[in-house]
Amino acid sequence: MNGDFDNRGGRGGRGAGGDKDKDKEKGGGRRTFFRRRRVCKFCVEKIDYIGYRDVKLLAPFIPERGKIQPRRISGVCATHQRALQKAIKRARQLALIPYVTE
Amino acid sequence: MSVRQYELIYIVPPDSTEEAIAEVHTQVATVVERFGATIERTENWGRRRLAYEINRQREGVYVLEVINGPGAMTAELDRRLRVLDAVIRHLIVRVDEELSVAERAKANRKAAMVARRTKRGLPPEPTEDEKRRREGEDDDMEGGLESGFRAGGDR
Repeated sequence: MNGDFDNRGGRGGRGAGGDKDKDKEKGGGRRTFFRRRRVCKFCVEKIDYIGYRDVKLLAPFIPERGKIQPRRISGVCATHQRALQKAIKRARQLALIPYVTE
Repeated sequence: MSVRQYELIYIVPPDSTEEAIAEVHTQVATVVERFGATIERTENWGRRRLAYEINRQREGVYVLEVINGPGAMTAELDRRLRVLDAVIRHLIVRVDEELSVAERAKANRKAAMVARRTKRGLPPEPTEDEKRRREGEDDDMEGGLESGFRAGGDR
């Protein structure tokens, strides 16, 4: 038991250390080179109401598979993601948007 | 009794006749009337492809009804529509709250803009000249990018 716990702790610690080193070496570079600044589409375009009937508005946030795009990818702010999620789920009920696509 | 705004959307099979669609509408209208509510407007979206099959149908005729009425009405409407064979899918959504929130957000943003502008000693509304200049700036930026690409290509 005790040995197990120590082992796990040790592994976790080493892993975390490695990540930190990577962040120091590459992280900075990655941030400046690859990470584009993501902004919430709804904030920028001042869209107040995300309607479930507006398929054109919702479509960019539904990738091929039919899942709702996570915020960390689309960059939508929390408030609008919540509204978007609701709208997408309503649109799905009405077969405007698929639940899943194969 | 508070009056709330609801949107009712129902889907009828694509092969249903005009009369069948009108029949569903009158059914809805009678329920709505019984509750002293009103139908604000009705929109027929016509035939649309369904995103997935419902009752072996790949298409459906969508009808939207915007209704102002009490909450108790939705329960009755829901019950009726579920029984109707002519309706393959329906959804009732309360919209007044969300729309008023959106309205308020818009008004707040406008008020903030007016406050900001008066603080800077500008007229509360952007003048025609400013609007034109802002559009001009956008064009310049695009133009700059394009010329940049061209310059790179030449080299």
